[in-house]
Amino acid sequence: MAGQDAIGWRQRPGFYVGMMLASFGAIAGLKLSGAIPAPIGFILLAGAMLWMIPLVRTGMEKQKRCGVLSPAVVRYNRRFMLASFGYMLGLGLAVWLNDRFDLAGVVAFAVALLPVIPTLAMVWTMARYLVEEDDEYLRHRAMIANLVGLGAVLSVGCFYGFLETFELVPHVPGWWAVPIWAIGMGAGQGWMALRNRERAEG
Amino acid sequence: MKNRLKVLRAERDWTQGDLAERLDISRQSINAIETGRYDPSLPLAFKIADLFGLAIEEIFFRDQP
Repeated sequence: MAGQDAIGWRQRPGFYVGMMLASFGAIAGLKLSGAIPAPIGFILLAGAMLWMIPLVRTGMEKQKRCGVLSPAVVRYNRRFMLASFGYMLGLGLAVWLNDRFDLAGVVAFAVALLPVIPTLAMVWTMARYLVEEDDEYLRHRAMIANLVGLGAVLSVGCFYGFLETFELVPHVPGWWAVPIWAIGMGAGQGWMALRNRERAEG
Repeated sequence: MKNRLKVLRAERDWTQGDLAERLDISRQSINAIETGRYDPSLPLAFKIADLFGLAIEEIFFRDQP
């Protein structure tokens, strides 16, 4: 569409998805190669999460242009962004506390919950969206994206787990499931958006 | 499942947005249904049929009749 063509790359959510994925990939590479210590990795990850802000903003503008910015989508975007920041904050705080203090017992359990609570908020956000979304096609798309995210977690987790069992790769904490799920879900949405690129109306 | 939603819409000179507004769904949903990428639920199919004053089977068809 002519209107779409006139939109600059800074207004395209795909650009920010790409930047976030590239950032995650670069940080994971640096961490796995041992080039950076864990605390620096978390700080960089928290920084990379800031791509969420322009991503959500441009995504909502695009949804508005396409006429799919339902009230449920607005609530979902806001809740998910807050939960994502809470996750990074909780994760960074938990790792920082674990590095500096000899955590054990109930305290260690409580600290471990710091990143888990925002993760549960993400799951709740998705569940609420599926309940609140009145548009069945948008709900269907959200469910497909969730399945792609789940597939990414299962396949990457299983494959990496076996590589780890065969001592081919270093150990990676299980919490990586959350970013992989989010990346998979985003990839699912991107794939559907690409596939469903709307034709110009006659 | 095939349908003639686009034809019915064109006969009334409605845009996808017009039809979406009348059905209280997103324009993307109309696009997906028209192009056969998404089959509507029975309640939505009834809603579409009611809007055009037709029976469901006059709008939606089996792939292999």
